[in-house]
Amino acid sequence: MTATLQPRPVPGPVPAWAFPVGAPGQVPGGPATLRCDLPGRRLASVRLLLDAGAGREARGLEGVATITARALLEGTRPGGGTELTAAFERLGASLFASADLTALRIALDVPVTRLDPALELLSTVLRSAALDDADIGRLGRERLEEIAQEDADPGSRAMRELRAVMFPDAARAHLPTGGTRASIAAITGADVRAFFGSAEPGEATAVVAGDLAGTNVDAAFTGALSGWTAAGPALPAADDVPPTAGPRIVVVDRPGSVQTYLALAHGVPNRRSADWPLLAVVAHVLGGGLTSRLNAVLREEKGYTYGVRAGLLRMPHCGLFIAQGSVHTEVTGDAVADALAGLRSVVERGVTEEECRSSVTALADRAPAEYETARAVAAELADAAANGLGADYPRRYLEAVRAATPAELERAYREHVGTDALTVVAVGDAAQIREPLEKLGYAPVTVAE
Amino acid sequence: MAEQPLHEHTLANGLRVVVCEDHVVPLAAVNIWYGVGSRHEVAGRTGLAHLFEHLMFQGSGNVAEGEHAALLESAGATFNASTSFERTNYYETVPVSHLELALWLEADRMGTLPAALTQANLDNQRDVVKNERRQRYDNQPYGTAFERLCRLTFPPGHPYAHTPIGSMADLDATTLEDCADFFATWYAPGNAVLSIVGDVDPERALADAERYFGGLPAGPASPAPRPGDLGPLGEVRVEMVDEDVPSPAYFALFPLPSDGGGDIEAAELAVEILGGGAGSRLYDRMVRRDEIATEVWAGVTRLAGGPSLAIVDAVGPDPAKIAEVLDEELARFAAEGPDADEAARATAQAERGFLEQTETVTGLANALSANATQFGDAARVFTAPQRAASVTADQIKDMAGRWLVPGSRTALNYGGAS
Repeated sequence: MTATLQPRPVPGPVPAWAFPVGAPGQVPGGPATLRCDLPGRRLASVRLLLDAGAGREARGLEGVATITARALLEGTRPGGGTELTAAFERLGASLFASADLTALRIALDVPVTRLDPALELLSTVLRSAALDDADIGRLGRERLEEIAQEDADPGSRAMRELRAVMFPDAARAHLPTGGTRASIAAITGADVRAFFGSAEPGEATAVVAGDLAGTNVDAAFTGALSGWTAAGPALPAADDVPPTAGPRIVVVDRPGSVQTYLALAHGVPNRRSADWPLLAVVAHVLGGGLTSRLNAVLREEKGYTYGVRAGLLRMPHCGLFIAQGSVHTEVTGDAVADALAGLRSVVERGVTEEECRSSVTALADRAPAEYETARAVAAELADAAANGLGADYPRRYLEAVRAATPAELERAYREHVGTDALTVVAVGDAAQIREPLEKLGYAPVTVAE
Repeated sequence: MAEQPLHEHTLANGLRVVVCEDHVVPLAAVNIWYGVGSRHEVAGRTGLAHLFEHLMFQGSGNVAEGEHAALLESAGATFNASTSFERTNYYETVPVSHLELALWLEADRMGTLPAALTQANLDNQRDVVKNERRQRYDNQPYGTAFERLCRLTFPPGHPYAHTPIGSMADLDATTLEDCADFFATWYAPGNAVLSIVGDVDPERALADAERYFGGLPAGPASPAPRPGDLGPLGEVRVEMVDEDVPSPAYFALFPLPSDGGGDIEAAELAVEILGGGAGSRLYDRMVRRDEIATEVWAGVTRLAGGPSLAIVDAVGPDPAKIAEVLDEELARFAAEGPDADEAARATAQAERGFLEQTETVTGLANALSANATQFGDAARVFTAPQRAASVTADQIKDMAGRWLVPGSRTALNYGGAS
């Protein structure tokens, strides 16, 4: 029996959709707020971003922002972490905190029906966190263990090396966001309390998203956040030391690896640049999906990899264009050659109309799915605010993506991504991959420990 | 989303269709569960269900190689597939304007996949899958832990003794004929459920399903799978793993009651209370108070045709000490059961888990397919919070006393080997 099939349907126009906007507000003497009503989203999401990211750590205290974020979850009395977690769990809520170079980020997710008591609990955390010496000592030891785990993971090891090589010593980005073994070992409870005490609530942003009908979030924010003040001197300003250019190839030796983790990177401007959306589109053309130039060759034609991807890493003062993925050890040299050829191809033959159209719609038309949850919307709005981009940035970004043309894509890529000056990091078995990488003749090969 | 009624229909060829309106965003999620996974594989062909999943993206009768991905990527779709023990799912979330295109693509591969099966595609995707295995398991610290635990827990040849990724040797041995047979055996409309969730008119979506899938022949009935059951384990079996890992660690697996039965809700709550996060008993004891672990986590994988599986992972310098404390906590929990607050917290977390699972059209479509495939009841998804809330502390205690006692696990000891 054979199948009776219909002709391929021709889709109509994609329905209009725009990134949600928020209503701005202000807690008197405290954080700026943004309230984003998303009908139908029963899980509300709060994102509180403090201008106390790793970029504002003092020298030698790298990782104190990360330890501070974790210590906030350890309760309002020494050893009170379990009790505090239980209090949020009783509400069906979760509280999480982390730090990156830009900000210390606090994330509260809760069914909207219990938003008010969850914000009250958050308020208690902000005002009364114990930040106890013994808890902080334990968090430091856990962080040291986490560093060992990160070092053993090929992907995170590659990202660490990339930053260490590309950013000079004077840049905070040279060192891992979560600190080094030495800096973590040196951090004390007093350091954490001083760091958190110096985080200025007036520079913070609080965003809430969800089905807010029938709630009075402005009042709840004011109740939770007013009168919360900084107690210490201002934190040091973040540096804006840019990444350096290659070409260079750095091998991180991981004896016995059956694959090599590759990262090929170049510094680009930050998101204030009008070229950022263009570079995002080019990155998609190169490594955005299965049909992208890199995957078409490295995965679908040659089977060297489960998949590679290219994209832009957001940093406060710059960005990094990164193409990355794992390849079978024995094809490492050929795979890097193909990846370099793929990255050069935009310079050599530009971007086709079809590629441009396809990547633009891929990025812009998937946004409704990408931002379907209150969590995703709140996180994006808060990130834009923390970077000083404005609450309308996500919307403007998508409009700029839609306006991209092949000529503009090629121009932006040529201007910002030096394909002869890439930094290539290869985490793998040096005994097997060093020679093939040297034979490429792209750049001198050095081997890191 | 607010809960909406389901619209269900079974086509003449056996394909079951479930439609749910959700007008929050202008999207449509399409999700197909085929009732085949690694438990249906035969000896010498482990990994075939998953390798075949890859071949489903390499074209079909009217879709050129690479075109499936190209059409969906350029439509702003998010799409993927996954293979587990019991099923293979395929899904795409598209702008609602592209719903018919998504249905057409799924129908074309359901109806005409063998037309595009070539040795070149098989060889290429075999290489891709072998690199997937290397990337996710072989080249990751502790990456083969779950595979080892399954091998240790189930008797040789048991359908759940091997995991979906399969072995390199079996992947190498797989032929084009194996793939064609696999498709003919398992990919009939009657062995599949199609769910459509989103900004759709239900009558029209059902008509679209009929239009695109109605012309596919019914195909043979799928063979009955081998029995997958396994009761509670009677004694701890430990494998000492001599592998280069950053730190010693202890991983444990406990068989649990199957999904769909009365005890699974109590089991999931029990595991949540024991190890489900930073408020759990194991975290409090091992990480915060005794400091014998820097992290510990427990979670449940629900399975319907075999035992559900609880996994406990702990990283710490002395795995034997972790095992000893785990025994103490299991014995205490089985004897005392949870206190009222623990049970209430676990129930509240289950409610949030339900909201997280179903708040996106993609998540809801997958949950509908799951419940329709495994229990013949798509609407069961909506009763998850009530099912959790109706469990009593005594039921949790009773269940733990049978399934979560000190002797009822297999375990891996990383770092205590020599």
